Amino acid sequence: MSKLLELKNISKIYGDLHALDNVSLDVDKGEWIAIMGPSGSGKSTMMNIIGCMDKPTSGQVIFDGKDISKESRRKLTEFHRDKIGLVFQQFHLINYLNAVENVMVAQYYHSMPDEKEALAALERVGLKDRAKHLPSQLSGGEQQRVCIARALINSPELILADEPTGNLDEKNENIVLDIFRQLHKEGTSLVVVTHDPEVGEVAQRIVRLEHGKIVSDKKNESFSD
Amino acid sequence: MNKKQKMFIRMVVASLVRRRSRMIVALLAIVVGATILSGLELIYYDVPRQMSSQFRSYGANVIFTPSGDDNIQREDLEKGISEFSSDEIEGYTPYRYENTKIHNMPATLAGIDFDSVLKTSPYWHISGNMPSGVGQALVGAKVAENLGIKQGDTVSAVNSFEVTEETDTSDIPAYEFYSDPESGELYCDHSLDLEVTGILETGGSEEEYIYVSLDDLTSLYLTDRGYDIVEVSAAAMQDRLSQVAETINSKSETISAKLVKRVTASESSVLTKLQSLVFIVTAVVLVLTMICVATTMTAVITERRKEIGLRKALGALNSSIIAEFMCEGLLLGGVGGILGSVLGYYFAQFVSMNVFSSSITFRPLLIPITIAASVLVTGLACLIPIKSAVEVDPALVLKGE
Amino acid sequence: MFFRMVRGTFSRQWKKMLMIAVTVALGASIATAMLNVMLDVGDKINAELKTYGSNITVVPQSEAVISKLYDVENDDSQTEYISEDSLGELLTIFWANNITDFAPVNDTKVTLNGDEITLIGTWFDHRLEFVKKGTTYQRDTGIANLRSWWDIVEGEWIDEQKLTGDNYAMVGALLSKEKNIKVGDVITVKGEKGKEKLTVAGIFDSGDDDDECIFTTLAAEQRLTGLGDFVKKIEVSAITSPDDELAVKAARNPSLLSGDEYDLWYCTAYVSSICFQIQEAIPEASASAVRQIADSEGKILEKTQLLMTLITFMSLLGATLGISNLVTSGVMERSSELALLKAVGATNGQITLLVLTEITITSIIGAAAGYFMGYAFAQIIGQSVFSSSIDMNGMVAFIVVVLVLAVTFAGSIPAIRMLLRLRPSEVLHGGH
Repeated sequence: MSKLLELKNISKIYGDLHALDNVSLDVDKGEWIAIMGPSGSGKSTMMNIIGCMDKPTSGQVIFDGKDISKESRRKLTEFHRDKIGLVFQQFHLINYLNAVENVMVAQYYHSMPDEKEALAALERVGLKDRAKHLPSQLSGGEQQRVCIARALINSPELILADEPTGNLDEKNENIVLDIFRQLHKEGTSLVVVTHDPEVGEVAQRIVRLEHGKIVSDKKNESFSD
Repeated sequence: MNKKQKMFIRMVVASLVRRRSRMIVALLAIVVGATILSGLELIYYDVPRQMSSQFRSYGANVIFTPSGDDNIQREDLEKGISEFSSDEIEGYTPYRYENTKIHNMPATLAGIDFDSVLKTSPYWHISGNMPSGVGQALVGAKVAENLGIKQGDTVSAVNSFEVTEETDTSDIPAYEFYSDPESGELYCDHSLDLEVTGILETGGSEEEYIYVSLDDLTSLYLTDRGYDIVEVSAAAMQDRLSQVAETINSKSETISAKLVKRVTASESSVLTKLQSLVFIVTAVVLVLTMICVATTMTAVITERRKEIGLRKALGALNSSIIAEFMCEGLLLGGVGGILGSVLGYYFAQFVSMNVFSSSITFRPLLIPITIAASVLVTGLACLIPIKSAVEVDPALVLKGE
Repeated sequence: MFFRMVRGTFSRQWKKMLMIAVTVALGASIATAMLNVMLDVGDKINAELKTYGSNITVVPQSEAVISKLYDVENDDSQTEYISEDSLGELLTIFWANNITDFAPVNDTKVTLNGDEITLIGTWFDHRLEFVKKGTTYQRDTGIANLRSWWDIVEGEWIDEQKLTGDNYAMVGALLSKEKNIKVGDVITVKGEKGKEKLTVAGIFDSGDDDDECIFTTLAAEQRLTGLGDFVKKIEVSAITSPDDELAVKAARNPSLLSGDEYDLWYCTAYVSSICFQIQEAIPEASASAVRQIADSEGKILEKTQLLMTLITFMSLLGATLGISNLVTSGVMERSSELALLKAVGATNGQITLLVLTEITITSIIGAAAGYFMGYAFAQIIGQSVFSSSIDMNGMVAFIVVVLVLAVTFAGSIPAIRMLLRLRPSEVLHGGH
């Protein structure tokens, strides 16, 4: 299987703090990885670097065979826009736009907004009938599904989720994880950053971070499609 | 219009409509600013005109005197007056002076039109009433004191003259004629009874005359010989007045128009001061309201830093975020400018009605100026915070909390 | 703990607090500047209106009518004069500081090259010194400021303090043309009691009867008439308050006023009370208002003050809305913080008190800064329009503080109440 992403000897240093310390990680195409670790372990920093929202202090980031660690901010933005879909813990929906419009915003900045496609994406996450609702009229789980639909809309090669279930109850957590399973089946690569073991347990591969270093990286035996 | 433009409009409209309370707060600030701007602009341009008519309480600012030996005739007077535009003329009063004797004391009669005299001498204080027609007189306070005349008295004004061949004596009663015992020449003591309706107090030389109607003077002196002097009160500035005076002097052979410098020179100096007062007040208030609008817009933008971070995380380029936010800001500025122009007009009208009891002149040109200023200020007020907001690192804004 | 939280807000949210303080300062500076200008504009415009010349004339009490036409008959009847020495009394009256200028005006007939013309003896810029009860009063005064509309066609105003001697004259434009008089000429005029050689210092164009007259120093005129140190008429220019009901009532007869009314009238710069005080100071004189000037001044003053009051009112309204606007949005922004406080058990009263304390401290700092900015603005206005400073009224500071506090409360309380009605969970999980 070809490699989607390679991190080579990545370090990120804030003053004295080594948020990431010489970390290397490969992600194959279609792989579902959970990055786990306690707070302060460097999860968020790693996620920002994978998501092309931050640059490492040293080391290389190779995405789809292309070294992007030396690219300009503008190039990074374009790259990230084309290849990656983001899912946030706080959902980050624009509160004055309704569900379908929030999805269309991602299309707008990517290529061309298309309401039909956006509605289709909402249908995929089971929210077709809530398309005209504002975020404040949606439950937390529904908001997160809108966020996932928005991440999906431009058919990214990688979905990057930061604590996607952190603000959700168990029922909604399961709905979200089911969607992830579905995406995985369809061949989308997933990187899920979490500290929740239940969320980590469902991934194909689990990477543990502690104090900016990878302490374990193993296949999940219990993974089932 | 492609789908991208449609989405752009959809987002801007959604932001304006669904974030109503916030937008109203911002719009209110802009409307208040635009209202003050357009209101003060209108007042600024209207102050000279409005104040100028207040300054007419100083009375006449132009006088006509005969340029040759002949008196001013009515036709010449009207020709002279027509050199002013009709809305400039507040009023004019012709004066004809004649010497007379009252109680055998010399006095001067001034023939005027009682209806128009208060237009050119609004400062006259009359104890009693203004005469309303023939047979009545207004007596200056000094003459009244000197001759012992009181309101309600009836005095007899006498015109003594030598009767010659040309004198038309048909209307003069016989008892008024007498002949000089030595020379045998025929004289006439033509008299006219006048009821004193009021005493005139001005504190100036006007108190030295007895005022009667022009018709009474014609019948007492048996001729309508024209006027000695005409007082004109015109609502115009010194430059315009001297221009009109020159035109009259060059056109008319019988009238010489002169500015009452004491009034015109002082008026233009005071008016200039007043206008510059309103101007600088407008400028100061404007600068401060602009800063107010700017701080409000900054607050509105700062509030949305997270949203800007999200848009960046979704792959928006800085330029497209700036375009969206500026479009919102400019729309607000435009709407605020339009509302402000309308409200400003009512504000100026309110001030004008209360201060000058006359309506303000509507100046259509000020509407586009106000709207343009409002759009410009709001645009600038948005641009600066947006520029700094798009520089944020989306990862920082979106992380945690 | 309470003050710790307040302090915490200021150290963490100083940017937002600074913004509120800046807006309050701007509003307060508008209020300060406009109120001060409004309260002082009367005096300023009044001073400008002095260019219209004197608004009070003082003549001897028993002066007979002297119509220009009957000068010959009536000249002898003017037997009573005001003594030149008593002019200094004008500097001692209650409203002496409101008298901007005054000058004696003695007109007399003289002959020049065989023609009879009017000659006026006056002060041009006389240095008057007057000692009364051990106090020395001093004032430079004269006709120069009472005839501000004169155009000096040739030469210049007579400068009494620079020129030596008093045999100088200024000649009206019409007369100078008629008699071909030029600056520097020496003209000989003959009066009732003597002859004077006068050096012509200037030619003026006044646009009225003065154009046919000669103006000379009072001393020269007194030598020509031989009447000694006497003055026939004084022209006075005074800054006055517009007439109101009390002034009208007093003008009829001051003795009909009640004690309080009389005090108020006497201590207000009505033209009638100034006239009254002049008569008190110079018993042989009769002072009366020149209606043309006094009335118009009153009218224009009243209009200007009303205009400024309304503009001020409008500016205050604008400033008020600006402040309350920002205070409201400042409070609204803190919705999640307030919800958090509520979630940890703070009562509505405690939260309100906390926010109000913070906002009030911010506003007071802003208002203080604004007051001084407003002072600067007022001075800019004063200097650029009237070339003189605007007097600062102490009351303005008080008004501004009250206004700012009222506006701050009015702007923040509804916002706080609105936020307190929200359920904490909604705010905290709202994803805003």
